[in-house]
Amino acid sequence: MIEARALRKVFRVPEKDPGLVGSLRSIVRRRTRDVVAVDGIDLTVAAGERIGFLGPNGAGKTTTLKMLTGLLHPTAGSCQVAGYRPQDRAPDFLRAVTLVMGQKQQLMWDLPATETFLLNRALFDLDRAEWTRTVEELVALLELGPFLNRPVRTLSLGERMRCELAAALLHRPRVLFLDEPTIGLDVEIQATVRRFVRAWNEKHGATVVLTSHDMNDVTALADRIVIIDLGVLRFDGSINELQLRFGTGRRIVVRGDGQALAGLEFTPDGSGGWQRTVLASAVNPVLQEVLRRLPSADVTVADPPLEEVLTRAFGEARQQRSAG
Amino acid sequence: MVQVATALLRASLTLAMQYRSDFLIDMLTGVLRTLAAVAPIALVFSQRETILGWTAPEVTLVAGLYFLMQAALAGLVEPNLGEIVEAVRSGSLDFVLLKPADAQVLVSMRRVDPAHLWDLLAAVLLLGWSISAMEPPSLADVGAAAVLLCSGLAAMYGIWLLAICTSFYFVRVDNLRFLLWSITDAGRWPLQVFARWIQLVLVVVIPVAVITTFPALALRGTWSPSLLATGVAVGIAFLVGSRWAWRASLAFYTSASS
Amino acid sequence: MTAIARALPDLFRVGFAGIVAYRAEMTIWILTATLPLIMLALWNAVAAEGPVAGFDQVEIARYFAATLLVRQLTSVWLVWEMNYEIRSGRLSQKLLKPMHPLIQYAVEMIVSVPFRSVILTPLLAALLLWRPELWKTPAPTAVALFVVSLALAWSINFLVQAVFASFSFWVDKTDGLFGVWFAAWSLLSGYIAPLDTFPDWARQILVLLPFHGMLGLPVEILGSFIAPGDALPQVGLQVFWVVVLATVLAVLWRAGIRRYGAFGA
Repeated sequence: MIEARALRKVFRVPEKDPGLVGSLRSIVRRRTRDVVAVDGIDLTVAAGERIGFLGPNGAGKTTTLKMLTGLLHPTAGSCQVAGYRPQDRAPDFLRAVTLVMGQKQQLMWDLPATETFLLNRALFDLDRAEWTRTVEELVALLELGPFLNRPVRTLSLGERMRCELAAALLHRPRVLFLDEPTIGLDVEIQATVRRFVRAWNEKHGATVVLTSHDMNDVTALADRIVIIDLGVLRFDGSINELQLRFGTGRRIVVRGDGQALAGLEFTPDGSGGWQRTVLASAVNPVLQEVLRRLPSADVTVADPPLEEVLTRAFGEARQQRSAG
Repeated sequence: MVQVATALLRASLTLAMQYRSDFLIDMLTGVLRTLAAVAPIALVFSQRETILGWTAPEVTLVAGLYFLMQAALAGLVEPNLGEIVEAVRSGSLDFVLLKPADAQVLVSMRRVDPAHLWDLLAAVLLLGWSISAMEPPSLADVGAAAVLLCSGLAAMYGIWLLAICTSFYFVRVDNLRFLLWSITDAGRWPLQVFARWIQLVLVVVIPVAVITTFPALALRGTWSPSLLATGVAVGIAFLVGSRWAWRASLAFYTSASS
Repeated sequence: MTAIARALPDLFRVGFAGIVAYRAEMTIWILTATLPLIMLALWNAVAAEGPVAGFDQVEIARYFAATLLVRQLTSVWLVWEMNYEIRSGRLSQKLLKPMHPLIQYAVEMIVSVPFRSVILTPLLAALLLWRPELWKTPAPTAVALFVVSLALAWSINFLVQAVFASFSFWVDKTDGLFGVWFAAWSLLSGYIAPLDTFPDWARQILVLLPFHGMLGLPVEILGSFIAPGDALPQVGLQVFWVVVLATVLAVLWRAGIRRYGAFGA
């Protein structure tokens, strides 16, 4: 469904020296700097897959998404989505994809969401009966009923985001690009959005490419994780593989008397318990000591949080980059 | 105070020159706007020697004064007062209010729009030509003109501030300023051209005539003490009235926001 | 093509709903076009002592009343809207739809015409009640030609603004560039003075330029200042300019889209 080969995007940015003299100089002679946002990416996504596209800020996630939806022209390399070249912006291509950006919205601000739905019906030339069915399905799944007829500017962020998702899916695209869809939403709404995306993918077989900073998005939705940093892919595999590769330890959490754990290098975990990350090989000895001191303590051993794993993955990538 | 002003000017100039194409375009726009203002005068006077007693240099004088007003308002006053609307909307006005200096001064001086330096240049050129082509004004004439010019500037500043104050209450109608501009456009021409009721509006309600026609009347030698008094009175009224409105609006703002 | 035709009724409906939501701002914008009235006062004063370039006081008043009307009905704000959307990245939302963004913009702009007509009607009615001699019934052919010429004038205005707005793909301050054009237009289109007041040699050149077709020509047809027969070749010139501008726009758009950085969105 999605194929990218050696995809590259370079931006030309004007540059000048600070201060008044610099400004004067820049009028006469313009200097520019090349910023490589995406530096040769190879990516293949099969139809129906759900992938999490992760990376620190400025890694090139959004730039890649914009190239895959035809908004940006690649500087080099090629990509194909749903059998089309995105930058040709063929109408049938645009009917096959959708891009939802967390903070930038397509809903018309002063009118109710229903007006944008109607607008999109016209723009995508959707059959009226089918469109009505899709609207009903979306309204039910996203629980839009109560506020559908109020101007969008009067809605809360969570209500707006759900309407935004609905507007983006009216034309039943085969590929969903979601750029930070849960950012700024409260926990309940985040869960609703995740449930919805999952349900939609399972029901309609739509391919989902999701970028996010939120680990819960990733764990709830992504079967496969692609990590990008400094414009290059660093990792492409399942969450388990990610853990194996970058997670070097396991996390022991103990609920019990902290005093008894003195000298064992446990630190408060912020929710009343005590935690320590140790190398996998060291788990047993530590565990034994803990249970010896606190035989009835509540002890769990878990993989380190995804957050930590990813930070390590990003960090290693940057180290490699400066070394190599 | 001078240091603050120089620093502000430098910052604004740097900002404006950040894109060299902008700089050149501003220059071209300035030149063309001047031409577009002078051409109708040429057209009118190709058909007539005088209009309601006004000669070509005298009408050009009015136009030159209009450019002067435009340079001051659009270059100095508007960039700052325009930001107030945004600051009110976004709440960033609070930062200004926290500073020790008078909020009105700070807000009025923060930004300078150098694009309108061309308006100033145009004003100087037009004023220079027209005065040289007229009968030389007497010292009293020049004095009266200077007083009326200052009154006029004060009055225009005042009406602009009043317009901005409305944005404290009605945040959405910031395009009221454009309405103001389009009405002041009438100031390019001698007041006598318009019907009596419009003349009244242009002196008392939107006092553009005080800064364009009145000083021209002075330099032309056709002024009277009552004209001088009217001009000064209007200037003072608007200055005082707008200051009061500003304080009232500020009080409203601080009590209304959380 | 047919897909666009099918979409239009809904697009117009939604677009008009959007205008109505902004009726306060729109009304103020309409009121800012006071220049024809100021010019009316000026030229009326000039014509007090005798006709100016063949216009007596009634005729000059009719000219500027017609200018007010035509100006409103051909007015678009595309250059600011499109400039803003390119620079803020909001253009991306239009680019993701399978209808060309320029058509989406055209609909947004056209729906303001009925609204403006509604606001203008009481104004013009008042004007005619105050000075009934202003009215001069145009011949039926003139009315038909006026409608055609008006539509073409709107199109030229739209295309010109689209061309200037598309400079935003390359340059930052296109408002300034358009300001240059607008200053030239106000002088050379007949907006601030009928073209007949220009010297003959100047007038002959000016009729050939696009400015005249953007305002002056429809005004002259409506006010019966030019016979339909004489106006016809000039309407043909309007068509010529539409074609030229559309071609230029197509080239600029294609090149510009490649450079579009989608920043901010």
